Amino acid sequence: MTSTLPAVTTPKVPAQRRPAPEARSTGRTRPPERLRSSRSDLLLCGLLLAAILVVQGWHIADYPTLSDDEGTYLAQAWAVQQGKGLAHYTYWYDHPPLGWVQIALLTWIPSAISPGSMTVGSMRIAMLVISGISAVLVYVLGRRLSLPRWAAGLGMALFGLSPLAVVLQREIFLDNIAVMWLLLAFCLAASPSRHLWHHFGAGLAAAAGVLTKETMLVVLPALFVTMWRHSHRDTRKFALTGAVTACALIGFSYPLFALLKGELLPGSGHVSLWDGVKYQMSRPGSGFILDTSSGSYGVLHSWLYYDRVLPLGGLAGALLLIVTWRWSVTARALAGPALAVAILAAVAMRPNGYLPAMYIIGALPFLALVLAGGAASVAHAVVRRRRAEGEKRYVTGGRYALAAVLALAAGAYVVPHWYDGDRTALTADANKPYRQASHWLSTKVADPKGTRVLVDDALWLDLVHAGYRPGLGAIWFYKADLDPAVTKTMPHGWRDIDYVVASPTVRRDAKDLPNVKAAIQHSEPVATFGTGPDRIEIRQIQTAAAGGAR
Amino acid sequence: MAAFTLWWQMHAWRTPEVLASTRFSRPDGDEHLSFSLLLPARHEQAVLDHTIQRLLESTHADFEIIVIVGHDDPETTEVARAAAERDQRVRVVVDTHEKKNKPKAMNTALPHCRGDVVGVFDAEDQVHPELLAHVDHAFRTTEADVVQGGVQLINFHSSWYSLRNCLEYFFWFRSRLHLHAQKGFIPLGGNTVFVRTDVLREADGWDPNCLAEDCDLGVRLSSVGKKVVVAYDSDMVTREETPGSLMSLLKQRTRWNQGFLQVYRKKDWKQLPGFRQRLLARYTLMTPFLQAFSGVIIPVNAAIALFLDVPVGVAFITFLPLVTAAVTFVFEVVGLHDFGKQYGLRVRLVHYAKLVVGGPFYQVLLAGAAIRAVWREQRGRNDWELTTHVGAHLTAAEPIREDVPA
Repeated sequence: MTSTLPAVTTPKVPAQRRPAPEARSTGRTRPPERLRSSRSDLLLCGLLLAAILVVQGWHIADYPTLSDDEGTYLAQAWAVQQGKGLAHYTYWYDHPPLGWVQIALLTWIPSAISPGSMTVGSMRIAMLVISGISAVLVYVLGRRLSLPRWAAGLGMALFGLSPLAVVLQREIFLDNIAVMWLLLAFCLAASPSRHLWHHFGAGLAAAAGVLTKETMLVVLPALFVTMWRHSHRDTRKFALTGAVTACALIGFSYPLFALLKGELLPGSGHVSLWDGVKYQMSRPGSGFILDTSSGSYGVLHSWLYYDRVLPLGGLAGALLLIVTWRWSVTARALAGPALAVAILAAVAMRPNGYLPAMYIIGALPFLALVLAGGAASVAHAVVRRRRAEGEKRYVTGGRYALAAVLALAAGAYVVPHWYDGDRTALTADANKPYRQASHWLSTKVADPKGTRVLVDDALWLDLVHAGYRPGLGAIWFYKADLDPAVTKTMPHGWRDIDYVVASPTVRRDAKDLPNVKAAIQHSEPVATFGTGPDRIEIRQIQTAAAGGAR
Repeated sequence: MAAFTLWWQMHAWRTPEVLASTRFSRPDGDEHLSFSLLLPARHEQAVLDHTIQRLLESTHADFEIIVIVGHDDPETTEVARAAAERDQRVRVVVDTHEKKNKPKAMNTALPHCRGDVVGVFDAEDQVHPELLAHVDHAFRTTEADVVQGGVQLINFHSSWYSLRNCLEYFFWFRSRLHLHAQKGFIPLGGNTVFVRTDVLREADGWDPNCLAEDCDLGVRLSSVGKKVVVAYDSDMVTREETPGSLMSLLKQRTRWNQGFLQVYRKKDWKQLPGFRQRLLARYTLMTPFLQAFSGVIIPVNAAIALFLDVPVGVAFITFLPLVTAAVTFVFEVVGLHDFGKQYGLRVRLVHYAKLVVGGPFYQVLLAGAAIRAVWREQRGRNDWELTTHVGAHLTAAEPIREDVPA
């Protein structure tokens, strides 16, 4: 659809005979052939990277609260490291396994040096690597989409320093890793040399992203558009087909894997990819996002609680770019990210779709780029539009003054908010109860090997390191109801359990899990850490009533 | 291995710049070189006259055509002599060797060449009138010793194998040869190849005992560091036809394969200066055999993975070659589309289907030719199995001209 428009980054003549750059009315810096050799780019990117790493890395283990999902992925990564297959419980095709295979690789060396460090809090440090790479890729992508240097830097800062981003990117979520792959794919798709194998690589990276977190699938059209715009007419046919083929072939390796294991289609006595997909597609919806009583609204609210600038500003930026498509070079250059934002927003607006809290992670880099692009567009309009050769000096001065005022106003709004948000992230300690519970369970229980505990995923690895048997000793609480391999070992239901670690997640989900619910009902707290709804109780099962059946 | 082939096959399309550089640059109208065009013909009286007429239409000012005929082939000789009488730029040289083949014929004609540059065509070639001007320009601007122009089979609609055969040529001349030229090791094609006469004489012409004398010449010239330039322009290619039957295709392929083997065994390529060049040479000359081998092994692999009880990891690895094969397949489909576009031919859906379905069978054919070549080489049979031509490409590319004898 973009082929009929004059492409901004794809001169129609081969570079060999490329004419001298047209009159530089725009005055924006062209991306250098090699970013690596541009000192000012390196300097800006390096400074921002350092800032992002400090803000995201400082007290990374203490804030935000350990999430159940983090525990799940890290535990499965641990299982991969231990050679126990793709998960320590039966792998049931909930997500493609590539995500935690990568976590396993990332944490391999630290966990080999110190096995006890393989817990959610301490391994968040691995996510710092991912965030760093992603942030640099955002900068590179910004430059490759011909944003001026300051705007690319702005995009990188938005992406890495927004309190929302800081909170989400600290956590061990598959989405963060998938975003890195997608960004790599976009960077390769926008490669200035338009090399066939770069586009092929973009396809591979996109497939890796999708296999890390399947929701990235919806962003692929935006990637395609980017690639289309950045390929040359003569080689486009091959470049695009190559990329699509690469992506599809790698993507098909997942069903192939299931097929080879004999688990592609449902059957009795085994899990299957089909059932896994069916589960994900039929997850109960969380309501319409703008309906104040729905769960989706709550999720939206939780995002806006951390930061309004990036989500709302990004949406506005996308809108601005789409509206100014006809006139703005920047808008056309950023067609890919803008389309990605549009798609992700449309998916989030489904009337009754399932909207998980980490959904926005996939949108963050595109929101950041689009917002930066919008800013660049506005700046260009203010400073350069309709600027004649002999413009009066006071008019030019006025233009710059207006730009400065706008920049100051934006800064005055954003900086205090972000300062507060990021200060919380740097100083708050939300995970003290978890550490205390972990400490209690490792020191106060006499025989960890013979003790069975229902625990949420975030604490599970702590218990494993403390000597509890993984899987049937330390038990992911919901497995007690949902995994036949676990329930089989609990013929007497809650009576076969010794402790329940009632964290907020466990208390929240227990209402749908009969065994867990019964265990909580038939237990008394022996230790409580924290207060209010965030408290963690260690509850001992009271077997006296059952007459010592065990 | 399949990945290497793929990588090289797609060489020309890597970037728009590379693609642009594979074309002839526009001639400047200046012409300094004189050409001697060799046209060996054997039992090809049906197409020879047309070819000569077309060559004579060349816009270049200074060239001669030397038709080489056998002393035991009166029909072709007659056609050639008639053409020579009509136009003084045509000369006839009679080859009197007892056992005849193309390199011997051309060596016979070499002393008679008066031009600065010797060009080789086949009797059934359709040559573009402006080709010589472009080649002249290429020689002068690049200071090359050898210029290889494009050759393209056109009659892709004739049969399923001609479709694949056409595409093979397309990829070879459009893309792969340029890579070879760049790397300094190039097996030349059989025609539309131009060599400076002194360079050719210095190299003692063609090897009369080699079944792939063209490849051999390229290897020998690049081994002593001669500069080879390849240029491809869809307007400017020499149009040819595929062999008329499966059997003749098999024979032709056997001859090439055997020729490659002979060139490999002659070890001229060992003089190449760079290790990587030698590796490329070794690999290129072995390609037909590796290709045949992989063609057989890929389906077996996939079958093993699916039907035998092997660990998932192992099964996964056995699928890897299939992946590269699939990528190649897709690029071939795109290549066919591009081929149709560039030559203004209508490629229908059925042709794409033929291309995909015919793939495995073509592999079997290639494997057969490879095995046959090894067998013949072992038995020491290296006589010349000539491909016969029926002129299918003439009707295919454009309506037959009135002056062409049926």
